[in-house]
Amino acid sequence: MARSVRSVRPMSYVFRMPPATGAVTGAPDSSPAVDRQTAGQERGEPEQRDGRGEIVAGYLAPHPPHLVYAENPPQNEPRSQGGWEILRWAYEEARRRLKERHRPDVIIVHAPHWITMVGHHVNCVPNPRGTSVEPIFPHLLRYHYDFHTDVELAEAIVDEADAAGLVARRMTEPGVRVDYATIGALHLLNPDWDIPVVSLSANNNPYYYASAGLDDMETLGVATRRAIERTGRRAVLAASNSLSHLHWDTEPELPEDMAAEHPYNNHQYRWDMRLLEAVRAGRTKQLRTLIPEHIAQTEGEIKSGSLSWMLSAMGWPEVPGDVLGYWTVIGTGNAVVEWEPMRTDRSATPAAHATGTQR
Amino acid sequence: MTDPTVAAGTSSSRGSVSTGGAPGDVVGVALVPGLPHLLADDPAPSWTALADATRTVGERICAASPDAVVLLSTQWFTVLGHQFQHDPNPRGTYVDENWYAYDYGHLRYDYPVDVDLIERWATGTERAGMQARLTRYDGFPIDTGTIVAGQLLDPDGRLAVAQVSCNLYAPAETMTRLAELGVEAAGHLGRRVVVVAVSGLSSGLIQRWITPDEDRILSAEHDRWNTRMLDLLTAGDVEAALAQRAAYAEAAAVDAQGRALAFLAGAGLDGVRADVVAYGPIWGTGGAVVWWQP
Ligand SMILES: [Fe+2]
Repeated sequence: MARSVRSVRPMSYVFRMPPATGAVTGAPDSSPAVDRQTAGQERGEPEQRDGRGEIVAGYLAPHPPHLVYAENPPQNEPRSQGGWEILRWAYEEARRRLKERHRPDVIIVHAPHWITMVGHHVNCVPNPRGTSVEPIFPHLLRYHYDFHTDVELAEAIVDEADAAGLVARRMTEPGVRVDYATIGALHLLNPDWDIPVVSLSANNNPYYYASAGLDDMETLGVATRRAIERTGRRAVLAASNSLSHLHWDTEPELPEDMAAEHPYNNHQYRWDMRLLEAVRAGRTKQLRTLIPEHIAQTEGEIKSGSLSWMLSAMGWPEVPGDVLGYWTVIGTGNAVVEWEPMRTDRSATPAAHATGTQR
Repeated sequence: MTDPTVAAGTSSSRGSVSTGGAPGDVVGVALVPGLPHLLADDPAPSWTALADATRTVGERICAASPDAVVLLSTQWFTVLGHQFQHDPNPRGTYVDENWYAYDYGHLRYDYPVDVDLIERWATGTERAGMQARLTRYDGFPIDTGTIVAGQLLDPDGRLAVAQVSCNLYAPAETMTRLAELGVEAAGHLGRRVVVVAVSGLSSGLIQRWITPDEDRILSAEHDRWNTRMLDLLTAGDVEAALAQRAAYAEAAAVDAQGRALAFLAGAGLDGVRADVVAYGPIWGTGGAVVWWQP
């Protein structure tokens, strides 16, 4: 089925709740965040400048449209027989935690298929709605979206990014189609769409005019954190990225034919495991060097910077990430991972030593 | 919602089945830019020159009175198989996700598709061992490059288009083969066609908001590479240009790694001297309007 793409070096995609724009719904002034702030600063975690805003969790939230397609949600037109259950079950657990434990005011997503050629753009449209027919996968994703943006926070992120020296822009055009990486991650984390959203573009990607480097994404992450703190939001972040990213250039007649699904090659799989072992062991700061290596070895989609943005926003917390699931989609590696930057009681997994790929 | 008739199967073994193609009658070949700045109300001098040159090529196409345009735009990029636009009349508006804040970021389109040619081309592609899929969906977002080129080449939207997507994971040789198959399909149907690729050259964008008069090619190296490649085309040496395609792509971050040139080569450009009608910057990238008269 697969033809080698080794020679190809990719250059460098109706449901609502009342608008919450400007509202702080889940962060009372007497929040335990104040106590967490003091402890967090001692651990070198993000400074809570006003004692209210905080990032309660970050998710690596891959977006292959196959996962939305496989769910058969009412918002999506195509119908499937299912497929990729391991990843979808991982998302089910993420949804449970999101609603029961994290209860955020907002989900902030950085997505690699809103590809911006100049600068970092933030969707500031109050109520994006429309149908996103995905030009790459139109047979899998024709999704009717209708959600609410936390405009105050979105604008604050633009302002903080601008102050940090980045080229940043408020996107206020309701006619701009929402891409599948934004829709995919947000739908899979919260198919009810009942939590306000902020959506950031990727000024870098593995597909097309690539420009900004990971350093810029780290700066954008810090700017995002500052905006969260300034606006007092209780935020969950979503890095809408797959891991290893070489994949087939054809697909089976039945897209969800799981007999065709496996890693593109063992090299890619091993590098995904190497990255995830560091994640599970809580060696987060090591990821700053491991991520570029992973990209070089696997054409990783994290080149778009979503993971670096999120980890930077969380202050590269030395806490284990919880890998909720890993599987391939058309050969690419995908993991659903949760970090809780304030949580230090989660122990690192010893599995990193057992598999012999620790570096 | 119209469901597509999918001409695709699952085979991906290549080249084992002859398509038995007729040669087809190619009456012109063109490379044109696809960034929307060419439509700006307040253009840079190079944007004006490139837009005028594209209109000039449009006049040449009109003079050749083809039955259809066999089209590739690198801004409709895909990754699985080859998609063929099957909507008989794409029409609507498109707000560009990059340039929405400018007048040229809001685009209208309305043009006919040569459905018979598309179906024949997709079937031929499948028979040649490649994966093909007909794409026909309400609300499908027509890419900026296709719209921009259409407005300049054929402002009245009269020319029937037959368009395939640009698979960024497909080898360049496959893009050449795709164009050959498009021309063969046209031959079977007795169509006279022009073959057009909408693509930039070097793709180094200036990473800030500029005024039009500030525009220039991002780097001297990109400029040198663009010029070297255009010189090869002017000399009629497409083979040499294709031989340098990979190095060019690496050195100048070429749009879709030069798949547009590979596609155009499938129209039969051996020994045909190119007329470089215009070359210049678009927000730091290299844009060129090139015409071949086979
Ligand atoms: Fe993706």
